[in-house]
Amino acid sequence: MMSVRNFPKRMILPSLFLAALIIIPFAAPLITADDPVKIAVRYRLAAPDLEHWLGRDEFGRDRLARVLYGGQVSLTVAFVATTIACIIGTLFGLVGAYFRGPSEFVTSRLSDIVLCFPPILLALLVVTLFGPGSVTLVAVLSVLYFPTFARITFSEALRVTSLDFVEASRALGTPSYRIVLGTVLPNIAGPLSVQYSLTAAAAITIESGLSFLGLGVVPPAPSWGQMIRGARQFMNQDPLGIMIPCAALVLTIYAINFFCDRLRDTLDPKGTSGSSMDEVSKPKSRANAPTIKDPDVVAVINNLRLETAHFGTPAVIEDVSLTLRANQCTALVGESGSGKSLSSLALMGLLPGAIRQVGGTLQLRRKSDEVVDLGFLDARRLEDIRGNDIAMIFQEPMTSLNPIHKISDQMIEAITAHRPMSKSDARAHAIALLKRVGMNDAERRIDSYPDQMSGGMRQRVMIGMALSCEPRLLIADEPTTALDVTIQAEIIELLQTLRQDQGNGLSLLFISHNLGVVADIADRVAVMYSGLIVEEGPAAQILRDPHHPYTRALIESMPSSHEELNSARGDRLPAISGTPPLPSARPSGCTFRDRCPIALPACAHIRPALYPSADGERAVRCLRAPEAPAGVMNHQTEAA
Amino acid sequence: MLAFISRRMAAAVAMLLVIGTIIFSLLIIVPGDPAELLLSTGGGSASAEAIANLRVNMGLDKPVLTQYVTFLYNTARLDFGTSIVDNGSISSVIALRLPRTLEIIIAGTIFALLLAIPAGTAAGLRAGGKFDIAASAINALLTSIPGFVLGTLFIFFFAQVLGWLPAGGYVAFAANPMQHLQMLVLPALTVGLHLATIVFRMTRASVLEMRGHDWVRTAVAKGLRRKRVVRRHILYNALGPIITVVGLQLGILLGSTVLVEFIYNWPGLSGLLVSAVEQRDYPTVRAVILTVAAIFIGINLVIDILSSLLDPRIRLQ
Repeated sequence: MMSVRNFPKRMILPSLFLAALIIIPFAAPLITADDPVKIAVRYRLAAPDLEHWLGRDEFGRDRLARVLYGGQVSLTVAFVATTIACIIGTLFGLVGAYFRGPSEFVTSRLSDIVLCFPPILLALLVVTLFGPGSVTLVAVLSVLYFPTFARITFSEALRVTSLDFVEASRALGTPSYRIVLGTVLPNIAGPLSVQYSLTAAAAITIESGLSFLGLGVVPPAPSWGQMIRGARQFMNQDPLGIMIPCAALVLTIYAINFFCDRLRDTLDPKGTSGSSMDEVSKPKSRANAPTIKDPDVVAVINNLRLETAHFGTPAVIEDVSLTLRANQCTALVGESGSGKSLSSLALMGLLPGAIRQVGGTLQLRRKSDEVVDLGFLDARRLEDIRGNDIAMIFQEPMTSLNPIHKISDQMIEAITAHRPMSKSDARAHAIALLKRVGMNDAERRIDSYPDQMSGGMRQRVMIGMALSCEPRLLIADEPTTALDVTIQAEIIELLQTLRQDQGNGLSLLFISHNLGVVADIADRVAVMYSGLIVEEGPAAQILRDPHHPYTRALIESMPSSHEELNSARGDRLPAISGTPPLPSARPSGCTFRDRCPIALPACAHIRPALYPSADGERAVRCLRAPEAPAGVMNHQTEAA
Repeated sequence: MLAFISRRMAAAVAMLLVIGTIIFSLLIIVPGDPAELLLSTGGGSASAEAIANLRVNMGLDKPVLTQYVTFLYNTARLDFGTSIVDNGSISSVIALRLPRTLEIIIAGTIFALLLAIPAGTAAGLRAGGKFDIAASAINALLTSIPGFVLGTLFIFFFAQVLGWLPAGGYVAFAANPMQHLQMLVLPALTVGLHLATIVFRMTRASVLEMRGHDWVRTAVAKGLRRKRVVRRHILYNALGPIITVVGLQLGILLGSTVLVEFIYNWPGLSGLLVSAVEQRDYPTVRAVILTVAAIFIGINLVIDILSSLLDPRIRLQ
């Protein structure tokens, strides 16, 4: 089925390596004419010469012949046993998955039992009864390993048979055997082949181990384990004697493992990419000393630009500027992929490892009134600021708390990280915080684990934890998206109350795609589209009279009734078609023009700036907005 | 918690019962007369008198059910009967040798954990980095070396070529503590290195998985020191999966101990086992294997309880 051309590149080397190691022993007659069992005591332990490349062993037998023919024995025993185990195990697994009931029990329990016997001990037990020999070995190894195959087949078959297309073909009346042969087997072929190579490697290890003990392959038939056993007594005079069979054994097992690792990677490419605990790389040059003049301003994002770490890729955030004031809630709005979460993670110094800040400043006024640029701080100082001056609430309350620590421990460590406080004082503080976020019976519930709480309760815990050090800036990244409608309203109300209660003028950065929620809570709104702010201004003005067609589309996408609006979870916009472009596929000119209902030819040439309104209250990035300077379109079109 | 422990203990006892039954029935399902089979050497068979003696000795002349009940009853009392070869009490031989085997396993496990958990954590935290690539390559190579090969190579280098350590043997700790420890080093290292490859792989994978979880981001967002984030919110969470896998792999570890003891002439259970297999002393083989299976089940019981202490979700199920 697999043609040469689509053979995965990463599999070529391990496949060739493995094939060579399997073929060479079986090509022994072509390589050497010597007999592996012919004894010539006169030449015992002879050094290598032209005729006997690897010298002779303790009985004067040719070592090259022995290592090659020994490989035949080891490989045959291992592969025959593994094949038998694989066939029997697969049949068992399929029967178990098909009939369920008792056979299911047998299939899953059998492997538990076999696991309790160290494989080599079970082999020894059988050898005691039947005596050593290749046939005994094959029988033992098959019995040892077939339950593992059965278990893998069983669980994979169960998974596959519950897939939609299999259910569908069953409903259409396809006979069961056809389903098994046509869909189940090809689907479990991957995991089975991984297990097959693992088992083959284990079988070679056990075979050679038993032969090494003198309880495996019966002499004088050669085997690698036996060769090591024989050469051991002479390792002083003749180190080559142990090195050769050891190398042959290790190389073969290594080749199988190597093949198996690559096969697993190819079948299940999870890779090692993704978030990294590594330090986020910083911009090279240092900007001017940070200054925020207005005492009311908590943080200023200025011309922030973020790129992926791959060289030459376009920016994921092109140009974001935002001023966050005390006692103010700023909403950052946009579809997923617009860059709103990345902008907020940049403020926290929590950017994923693959993304780095290449331009702009992120200034923050600390509680001590010191102004810092977050983009240039070392890791240690960022740790002092996180949770202390800026705190963050995340979207998924179900996974944002560590499931294996009590709520109390997680809250206490958040407090003591920034405040020199005894554990009992911190605990009392944590209980007070839980009461503040509306948790009944806080004294008792603080000692529960996250899994004992509902999503809404966990989000309350997250909020309480975020407020524990009285930050000046609180970032809430879609804090209600994962919650039920009624709980959503409660959490929004709680955030509102807390914002008013907090003495030091908390600034709230609220990230959402849901304009209904935004209308409830925000003072100012910034709308983001593909890495740019496209409209910004007072919430009431913007929601009542949007100037950018994208903002208009967002508002039109809102369900009419308030109830439905809160339940809207989807990140898609029914009012306009399409999705935001990937950073690499952004159109020229205005990035929104592909989806814009009022786009003009000029929009393809001119990249609009963020045009401020006459009173300076709001700004919009659109050529057709009232704020756009008169003549910008004509002027540019002529130029183009 | 108590209910959890008692449930797990009941399961462990049931497992032991099943294993005892399997080991017992092996002798029954063997074609032909087991006594004759055990006494046969190569082509020749033993005298009728010897066979009859053995049959009486092992109780093979009684009905199968009686044999089974007697076997279970005696095993429960830790009375494994007498050896066919020298009629000695098997239980007392095991009592003498078992601690020596456990000593190697414990020393090897400590070595493996001390080496592989920090290395695996470092590799997992910076997956794809220089250390990870180097450590994973070394690990892949070590995984491919069977225990007895590693042992043989160790003897060659450390005892023969360098002469740093004895090639094998055993001296009681009470008789000569220094020499005892010297002789322990190589066997423990051999067993431990093998286990370390498994622990390393598991720690790396587990840390890699855990560090991507949302709660790690929460912990960083709280402003915890990096060290504390790694310890409390990555490693602590990874520990459960690590010890569970290690527990399951102990079967292979216990098996490789047999070969390692044999190589280093360490008079633990394996010497007993190997000579018993050679002499087809079935009662002794049976007793040793039951003991090892019991240790395996016991260790996994302890690990079950440990991981339930580590992770409340297991307890709450």
